[in-house]
Amino acid sequence: MFEKLINESAAKSPWLFHINAGSCNGCDIELVSVLTPRFDAERLGFKLTGSPRHADIVVVTGPVTKQSLPRVLRAISQVPDPKCIVTMGSCPQSGNVFKGSYSVCAPLSQYVPVDVDIAGCAPRPQAVIEGLALATKILKEKREQK
Amino acid sequence: MTMVLSALEYLGYILIFPGFLFCFFVGLLLAGIDRKIVAKMQKRVGPPILQPFYDFFKLCGKETIIPAAASKTTFLMAPLVGLAGLVVLQMFIPIHGWAAFSGTADIIVILYLLLIPAMATMLGGSASGSPYAGIGMSREMVTVISCELPLVLVLLAVGKVAGGDSVTFSFSVISDYQLANGSLILHPSLIPAAIAFLMIIPGETGNHPFDTAEAETEICEGLLAEYSGAPLGVFKLAHAVKLLTLSSLFVALFLGGVGTGIIVIDGIILVLISIVITILTVSLVHAITARLKIEQVFKYYWTVVSGLALISLVLAWYGL
Amino acid sequence: MELPFIKEAVSQLFSKTSCEMYPAVPSEAAPRYRGRIKYDADKCIGCGMCQRVCSGGAITMDKEEVEDGTKITLTFNLGSCTFCNTCADFCSTKSIELTGDYHMIATKEEDLIVTGTHVKPKPVKKAPPAAAPAAKTEAPTAPAVAARDDGKPVQDPSKCVYCTICAKKCPQGALEVDRANKVWKCNYDDCVACGNCANVCPKKAIVC
Repeated sequence: MFEKLINESAAKSPWLFHINAGSCNGCDIELVSVLTPRFDAERLGFKLTGSPRHADIVVVTGPVTKQSLPRVLRAISQVPDPKCIVTMGSCPQSGNVFKGSYSVCAPLSQYVPVDVDIAGCAPRPQAVIEGLALATKILKEKREQK
Repeated sequence: MTMVLSALEYLGYILIFPGFLFCFFVGLLLAGIDRKIVAKMQKRVGPPILQPFYDFFKLCGKETIIPAAASKTTFLMAPLVGLAGLVVLQMFIPIHGWAAFSGTADIIVILYLLLIPAMATMLGGSASGSPYAGIGMSREMVTVISCELPLVLVLLAVGKVAGGDSVTFSFSVISDYQLANGSLILHPSLIPAAIAFLMIIPGETGNHPFDTAEAETEICEGLLAEYSGAPLGVFKLAHAVKLLTLSSLFVALFLGGVGTGIIVIDGIILVLISIVITILTVSLVHAITARLKIEQVFKYYWTVVSGLALISLVLAWYGL
Repeated sequence: MELPFIKEAVSQLFSKTSCEMYPAVPSEAAPRYRGRIKYDADKCIGCGMCQRVCSGGAITMDKEEVEDGTKITLTFNLGSCTFCNTCADFCSTKSIELTGDYHMIATKEEDLIVTGTHVKPKPVKKAPPAAAPAAKTEAPTAPAVAARDDGKPVQDPSKCVYCTICAKKCPQGALEVDRANKVWKCNYDDCVACGNCANVCPKKAIVC
């Protein structure tokens, strides 16, 4: 019964940790706008945490610059299992307009398994909510498989 | 036989009614209502009221990472010590004259027990070996010191009024006085003390705007930076239980005359009053203020709140 | 200590929320929002202009020789797109369109790929038309040079100043302009009749 309670709760309280890997701030602002009164992701249980140790979902924005790559990987590895990695915007998926630069290491998926991609430059807050909702589903599946 | 029965009775106290289960459900419920009301005040829908329960159970199902630099036993035991301190504290607080444990100087015990959760977070944070936790620890210590002075002044004022000639440190005397003479909040000299106590609640529970020690945006949640999984859940639970503890302390100190004498109904009344106190002192303040700097917290408590408590103490001393 | 928002907080406690209940209540993007790319392969002439102007490098064009022509596959990777609309602006046949669909959530890479294929027939060798049909009425503003019937460009030497802009804009590199010797040449086999040269010509010296 306790196990079932935990599995049910896994999808209802996803806490976010946001990593800016050299983003232009467009996606960062859209992510924060998801928590504003207009969209209020908190009604779905989302909460922005300050420490990767508390997080369930890691949201990465930005084209993963060479300087930020080791920090991003280190922060992601500090997130306790079960975790879900979400890339937001086009940059971490491909590098976007920074593609081919000497200081850009995108895509992120060649370093860590990425669960959900939210495309857009920057995505609408509604798309972000949709992507995070999908991530919570994956989170619950991962919890049940354990 | 009577030994076994009284042992079972005390076990019941510890585990069920004023103890663990009561604290668990009511504490998390208060935290949920707090989050919902804050959301409503900010024109949001807000999380479901059961959200802290989901958070707690989810955290129980997460992996617990112990940092390499941490001292393992202290790191894992600290949250349990904090929670245990609060549960024990809850049993000393009388509900309409009835308390599970009582002694002659239980107010002194309560003062020390109130320190235990803060001490436990400090211990756990400093055991984690994180620099963020170090900053958080120093801030938490300042917050505790800030809250302690007005709290002692309030308790002295209440003890003076209830004790008559001498200052009383016994909760049973205070609640007997209130049962005989009506709630102490109606006593004119104690009104500033009651207001001061309400102002202490957000600081003591570490809520906005006094959550400098656990500032998530500046110092990565400070003391809790390295905690994950079940120990973090226990810390969050202790944080929620503190809301119940402090509001029932307020009820015991100032609203002792409210009640019927039937323990179930008194328990429900206590929960209802706690909800009102939480909304007034924690949610409303959270919704309209931004986080203070640590020196502002200190200044606020040692001037405004201590001043109010001191006025009360002086008035009580001259028997007004 | 000032508490400026106490009135708002209490009044909002009893007022309606300003939330958009998104997943429950669907939301339409604003008009002219640039979202998921819609590509109409039948309209495409395979000029490659979109690929040339794409800043994110999101467009790839694969050519494959098949029996009855060249099979051209255009692939748009939305995970690399900035949704700047430049490809659609430059497309001479309007085969690319950025729709208002913003639901671009992917769990695997294929979810973000938009693709389309068309077969471009082999150029048919035929004799160039001997002269403009005599039936065409000669209006005063009519071009001095008659247009070809397949939409490919023809130069009007009386207007042309040999500025080479058309050659620079040609996505296929089919135009050759020699400024010194005043020679304008079009390789009609490479030309896909996109009309870009005529559009950009500052002197309106190209007729298609």
